[in-house]
Amino acid sequence: MTGMKSYYVSRAIISVAFGALFATGSTWWTGILVGALAFAWFLLAPHIGRYSVHPEFGITALRRDERAQAINDKAARNAFIISMLVLGGMIVYFGTFALTSAPIAIFKWLLILGVLIYYASDFWLRKALS
Amino acid sequence: MNLHNDLKETRLKKNFTQEALAGVVGVTRQTIIAIEKEKFVPSVKLALELASALDTPIGKMFWLENSQGEKP
Repeated sequence: MTGMKSYYVSRAIISVAFGALFATGSTWWTGILVGALAFAWFLLAPHIGRYSVHPEFGITALRRDERAQAINDKAARNAFIISMLVLGGMIVYFGTFALTSAPIAIFKWLLILGVLIYYASDFWLRKALS
Repeated sequence: MNLHNDLKETRLKKNFTQEALAGVVGVTRQTIIAIEKEKFVPSVKLALELASALDTPIGKMFWLENSQGEKP
């Protein structure tokens, strides 16, 4: 893994900034923990086989190859479609049966649902396409 | 019609590891594994890059199954 210096330096800077962001809004040790976890992920990322490694691209050395991009696209599509169907269902439910406006809090849960579906799809597709 | 390939056999003939071939064409080892198992259909560009890296005509390495389910 030669020629990755600019990748590691840039990720160290991002980790410090990320940790500092948490430290300002929380305790100092939370900032250190978050920064360390972020940097640990950046150290691990080139070795887990999730990304293709191109040291010649410097700070953007990690790229999705076409299989990873296809998985990402399908997972995003699944998350979007299911979230929109659930949203449509809830709007119909609140407009037809509950006869009230849909509470704004459902959007938070819809966002969480979308994220969960995205990662579940990503996990399942990675298993199916390997 | 399904797309089939001889990538594994060709790769082994040319003494490439999955890791080395992945490095040459700029993809992950998982992508090479998925192509060899025919779970992932590569783009024309990647298929050409694989054929070029293994110095093999693309038509010998990738083919469409004929109506009898055999290699033409």
